[in-house]
Amino acid sequence: MSTVSRAADRIESVPFLTRDDASLLLVLPGLFVFSAFMLFPVLYLLGISFTNAEPANLFAGEGVVAVLTFGDALFVGLENYVDVLTDGQFWNSFGVTWLFVATSVTLKIGASLAIALIVTSDLVRGKRVLRSLIIFPMGLPPIFTITVWRGIFSSAEFGLMNQLLTAFGASSVAWLSGRWTAFVAYNVTEAWLAYPFMVIITVSALQDVPEELHEAAVVDGAGFLARFAHITLPSIKRPVLFASILTSAASFQQFLIPFVFNQGGPARANELIVVYGYREALSFQQYGRGAAISIIALVFIGAFMWLNVKKGKLADGVND
Amino acid sequence: MLLGAIARKLGDDIKTFATMPARTVRKWSYTVQAVRRGELPASEVLKVILSTIAATVVVLALLFPIYWILMAALSGSGSSLYTSESFSLLPSNPTVKPFIWVIGDLIVPSYSISAAIPFTDLAFVFQTPGIEILDASDYGVDRPSEFKRFLWNSLMVAIPTVLIAMSLIIPAAYALSRRKFLFRRKILFVYVLMTQVGGGLGVALLIGMYALYVQFGINDSKLALAVYYAATAVPFNTWLLKTYMDGIPVSYEEAAVVDGAPPWRVVTEVIIPMSTAGLATVFIFVFLTGWTEFVVAQTLLGTENYTLPVGLYAMVDEYSIPWARFSAFALTFASPIMLAYLFAQRYIEGGLSFSGMEG
Repeated sequence: MSTVSRAADRIESVPFLTRDDASLLLVLPGLFVFSAFMLFPVLYLLGISFTNAEPANLFAGEGVVAVLTFGDALFVGLENYVDVLTDGQFWNSFGVTWLFVATSVTLKIGASLAIALIVTSDLVRGKRVLRSLIIFPMGLPPIFTITVWRGIFSSAEFGLMNQLLTAFGASSVAWLSGRWTAFVAYNVTEAWLAYPFMVIITVSALQDVPEELHEAAVVDGAGFLARFAHITLPSIKRPVLFASILTSAASFQQFLIPFVFNQGGPARANELIVVYGYREALSFQQYGRGAAISIIALVFIGAFMWLNVKKGKLADGVND
Repeated sequence: MLLGAIARKLGDDIKTFATMPARTVRKWSYTVQAVRRGELPASEVLKVILSTIAATVVVLALLFPIYWILMAALSGSGSSLYTSESFSLLPSNPTVKPFIWVIGDLIVPSYSISAAIPFTDLAFVFQTPGIEILDASDYGVDRPSEFKRFLWNSLMVAIPTVLIAMSLIIPAAYALSRRKFLFRRKILFVYVLMTQVGGGLGVALLIGMYALYVQFGINDSKLALAVYYAATAVPFNTWLLKTYMDGIPVSYEEAAVVDGAPPWRVVTEVIIPMSTAGLATVFIFVFLTGWTEFVVAQTLLGTENYTLPVGLYAMVDEYSIPWARFSAFALTFASPIMLAYLFAQRYIEGGLSFSGMEG
């Protein structure tokens, strides 16, 4: 008898599990609340993206009817989409977003792997204390840490980064006023924000790597790099892959860093796609246009998530 | 019983922490003796010492921004982080003034309670004494921050968030882990898909949400915000808890059933106690969602209802940030979470290990 059917029989033998489908009722409330607050706004957003909505016409009228007719906003068809897709500003934002995903994810994985290896190394004493310290930033509110990093990258002479540069004899840099320097600042901050989560997952994966494998490899004369490539990496591949997928989705949707640092500046050059949509709608009052941008972003996020789940076999456990 | 277990664990943690120096000293003395006797090569010991120092340096470097901002709060130099002298490790004249500015007065005002005796003209009037724990003006702080109002607002958001989310997540996670039912696989698939949705999707949806909330007139409601937070927390945390519960052997439940336990007792006596680590992790994640979220709260809430993160960011101005007060505010706001994190760390590490996620 296969393990699966044995497990099924076992569950069957627990008496209150006979009417199994009734357990759907335990899941439905969560699903319902989630849909009401996620799916419904998506549909509404889709609706707005086909109108010329602005605060003046969208919020005209009261009650359910006004909600359904989008206030006094007029249906304009695909105008917003055509507008957005022919706008260089959009393609700039689109490109910067993907570039940010690529660079920041590479940086995050590299840094977190290194940190995780350091705090699990056999040569290091007091690893528990180090590990407690290392996840400290996770408990800090992002809005606070990001503002602190804005201070670190301050263009002023006495920002921490500039003090560091002058200490090494270089001249100070106006970090947030240059396009690529600001981009570097985004990356460093994102990596610092994400490392605790990545390190936790990597560390617990590293601890599951059987000690005997390493010992055997040492006996066979394998060096550190060989052991890392042939034992450590294959054993931690899945959890690290999982963490990378989560973190790349987070990079794609990064909002606070550009928003707090310089509103996606200088001159809107670094507006990641979510920031771009937000600013079009809530800073420039173009709700229809902002909604169209958000929908396009959502399509990409959705496709990205779906690909990850399919390719990364994230849902393996689901198909049992 | 659950609280007792947690208290015992905390006690152990504190004991371990307190005896750590003694144990470290003892270990080192053993090592020194071993080297003296020639059982342990000195080069090996040196390697360990050097690696430990290197690792400590790396960790401290990572935490440096936090240290830096703590020093800024303690130096209290007023409006600027950028002093003309270069950076020093300790503030030259430390002050707790910014923290007092944050906390403000802690005064329990005196109330008078009167009790009239029926059918007579007699009445007793009690005057409760006013308790003065901290008077900010004693320290030269005239206009303390609105921290307490923000704190109250934040609690009014975070507590309902946790209550709603937990009551949605626990039954669902249990059902998804233990039972096979219609659409189970589809629901799990959707949840795994949505797991990747961070705060960013909330921002993308913000336009639609903002419009909807304004039209329904719930844009300034803390409860509506709490329900929203709970909703966003559902997929990831349900899935996390489900994965955790998968690791609990079914045989425990069978044993309880054989012993004649009714279904609800199987849940309260087996499932809940055995998933403490998972529950603690989920609890902290859900709480933090409501406690630290900024963008949605800032867009939806009015000034009166500002939560702590929004109140914090309101201090930031385009060109200057009052660093001392800003960091004192943020650290006061974050310190309970950081403490909880330190103690709950073992749970989080256990609850987050996805090595068993094939299950």
